[in-house]
Amino acid sequence: MTRSWHVAALSLALLLLAGAAATAAEIDAKRLMNADKEADNWLTYHGSYKSWHYSALADINTKNVGSLREAWSHVASRSVRGLQSYPLAADGVLYYSGSYNQVWALDGATGEVLWQYKQKLNEDLVAKQTHSPYNRGIALGYGNVYMGTLDGKLAAIDMKTGKLKWETKLVNSEKLTVGFTGAPLLVKDKVIVGAQGGEWPDRGPIFGVDANTGKQLWRFYTAGGEENNGDARNTWLNDSWRTGGGGGWMAGGYDPDTNTVWWGTANPAPLYDWSGPDWKTAGARPGDNLYTTSVILLDPDTGKLKGYHQEVPHDAWDFDSATGEFIMLERGGKKYVVHPSKSGFVWVYDRNAKVQNVWRLIKNINFVQDIKPNGELVGRRDMTAGKHENLCPFIAGGMSWNMGSYNPKTGLLYKVGNEWCMDLEIVKTTPILEPMAQLNIGANFNITNPKGDKAHGHVSGRDPITGKLTWEVKFPEPPLASLLSTGGDLLFVPDPRGWLRAYDARTGKELWKHNNGQGHNGGIISYRAKGKQYIAVATGWGGLAGDDYPSFFGGVFAQMPKDSGVLKVFALP
Amino acid sequence: MQSGRHTPGTNDNPSTAPASPSATGPASDFDVNQLFASTCGWCHLKGGREAGKGPKLADTQLADGEIIARIRNGKPGQMPAFGSAFNDEQLKAIVGYIRGLKP
Ligand code: HEC
Repeated sequence: MTRSWHVAALSLALLLLAGAAATAAEIDAKRLMNADKEADNWLTYHGSYKSWHYSALADINTKNVGSLREAWSHVASRSVRGLQSYPLAADGVLYYSGSYNQVWALDGATGEVLWQYKQKLNEDLVAKQTHSPYNRGIALGYGNVYMGTLDGKLAAIDMKTGKLKWETKLVNSEKLTVGFTGAPLLVKDKVIVGAQGGEWPDRGPIFGVDANTGKQLWRFYTAGGEENNGDARNTWLNDSWRTGGGGGWMAGGYDPDTNTVWWGTANPAPLYDWSGPDWKTAGARPGDNLYTTSVILLDPDTGKLKGYHQEVPHDAWDFDSATGEFIMLERGGKKYVVHPSKSGFVWVYDRNAKVQNVWRLIKNINFVQDIKPNGELVGRRDMTAGKHENLCPFIAGGMSWNMGSYNPKTGLLYKVGNEWCMDLEIVKTTPILEPMAQLNIGANFNITNPKGDKAHGHVSGRDPITGKLTWEVKFPEPPLASLLSTGGDLLFVPDPRGWLRAYDARTGKELWKHNNGQGHNGGIISYRAKGKQYIAVATGWGGLAGDDYPSFFGGVFAQMPKDSGVLKVFALP
Repeated sequence: MQSGRHTPGTNDNPSTAPASPSATGPASDFDVNQLFASTCGWCHLKGGREAGKGPKLADTQLADGEIIARIRNGKPGQMPAFGSAFNDEQLKAIVGYIRGLKP
C-alpha cells in the first residue's frame, strides 16, 4: 500500500470515528443497561450495572504493557484532599469531577479542555464540613452530567456545554453540615443518590430524582426507615433513631433482572457504643439499629423497601456496608451479588439478598470471632466504656471505599485488603436525641500494628464466591485507590506512594510501573478515543484515610501534598 | 444535656452568630471528655496526646486565643470550622482540657 493511500485511509477512518462520536446515541436507559458491551466507553461509576470495574479492551496487554507511556495529563484546580473521583468516558470524551464540585470535559485523545464547570458553593458551609470538599464521582445520561453537591443538591450539567441545567436541593446541609460526595446512580429515568450519614446527624437518606426534570420523587431514611416504608424505628430503643447515622455515601448497584437497586448503608451514631454485650437493651442506641450497616434493596421507581440484610446488627465498630460495590455474577446457572465491606468480610448473596457465603479478605479481624457462611456473627466484641487494646481492623476498615475489579476472563476478583488494628478508649456519652452538627464518634483511639506483624496492605486475586486465593502482592501501606483489570489480562494498581503498576492478572507478576509523583486515592478506567486505548487514573493524596499515613507510616507521606490533583492518561506509543 | 442538643439551625453563620447557651446547654452539663471523644478524637489521636490526621495537641505552642480561633475557624480541607457550635465557657473548657493533657 502506498503511503498516500495509507494516510487517506487513515483520515477516512478518523472521519468516520469522529462522525460516529458526533452522532453517538444519547446515553439512555438502554445504553446504560448494556454498558458492559461498550468496551470503548466507561459510562458509569462502577463501569456497568455489573459493577465489575473491568474493561474488555485488549490493545494494551501483557505482551506490550512494558512500553506504556504517559499520553497527556490534566491538572484539577483546587484539589483539596486530593483527587478522589472516578473518570467516565463516553464517545471519545472524558468527564471527571474534583474537589469543590468542579467538573471537566476533556477530549479523550488529547486532553484538551472542552468545558469546565464550577458549582457555586457557600464556602463557610464547606469549611464546617468534615467529609469535604472532595467529590467521588458523577453519572452520565440524557445529555446530562449528574453530580451530588457538598451543599446537598443534585445538579444536572449539560454534557455538551457544561452549563447548569437544573439543580434540586435534597438535604438541608446548612443545618446538618452533611451533603453528597458519592456518585449518583442512573437507573432508567431516575437518578439515585445517597447522602452522607454515619457519625452524623439526620438519618442518612437516599433519594430518587426524575432524571429529566430534577423533581424529587422519593426519599428513604436508612436510619429507622419511614412510616409505611420499612418503619424500623423500634430497633432503636429510647427513640435513639433520632440521633441518626446510616446514609449511603457511595454509589450502589442495580439488578435489571429484578428491577432492584442495591445500596450499602453506613454505621449508626454514635459510632462507638459503650453498651458492651447488653447492646439490645443498654447503651447509646439499644437494638439492631436498622437499616444501618446493611444492604438494602429498593424499588428504583418508588423508593419502596423490597428487602434487606443487615450485615452487622448494632454496628459498634464503624464497619459499615456503604463501601463495597455490588458485583453481579452468574455461575453454574445461579445468580449472585458479591459485596465487600469495611469489616474485612465479603458477603455473597443471591439476588434476593439471602446470604450464600461470607469469606475473609484480610487476616487481622477480631471485632468478631467469625461470621458464619450463613451470615451469623459469632463472638462479637462489644466494648464497654474504658480502654480496649488491639481491636482489628482499624476504624478505616479492612477494606475502604476504593473499588476492586472482577475479570471475567480470569474469573478472579481483585481487591485491596488492609491489615491494621487500633487501641481505643470508649467514652460513655449522654444519649443524644436530636441531631447534632458535629462528629459523633464516642471514643479516643490510635492506630496500631497487628500483633506480631507490621501494618500493611495487599492486593489479591480470589474466587469471588469462595474467596479462594490465587495470588497476592503485599504493599507496605494499604493502597487507597481503585483497581482496574482488562481484557489484555492486566491488573492496574495505583498505590499510595505514587506508583502505578500493571500486573499479569493471572499470576500477579509485575510487568510495568510508573511513578505519578503523588499518591493515588481515586478511580482508574480504560477507554478508547480516536481508535486508541487509554488508561486514565486519578492522582492526588489527602483523603481522610490517607491523612493518618504521615503520622503512622511517615516516609514519603510526610511531605506529600494534600491539595494537588492530576488526571494522568497513558497509552502505547 | 451535652453538645448534641445544640440546635444546628443557629449555626448558619459562624462569624456573626452569637454563642447561644440555650442551644448548647449550660457549661456545667458539658462534659469536655465526652466532647473530645465524640468530635475531636478521630483526628487528634489518644485524646489529643498523639498526632493522627491532626497534630498532637498535648504540647501545642498556641496561646489560648489561638486555640479558640483554630476551633472556630478550622482549616479548609484539614479541620472543620466549628463556628459557633461551642459557647465561650465550652471553648474555655476545651482549652483547659488541652492544657491538662498528660502523656
Ligand atoms: C477532620 C480532622 C479534625 C477534627 C475532627 C478536628 N481537628 Fe483539630 N486539627 C486538625 C488538623 C489537620 C490540624 C492542623 C491544621 C494546621 O495545619 O494548622 C488541626 C489543628 C488543631 C489545633 C491547633 C494545634 C496547633 O498546635 O497548631 C487545635 C487546638 C485543634 N486542632 C483542636 C481541635 C478540637 C478541640 C477539635 C474538636 C472540637 C478538633 N481539633 C477537631 C484536624 C482535625
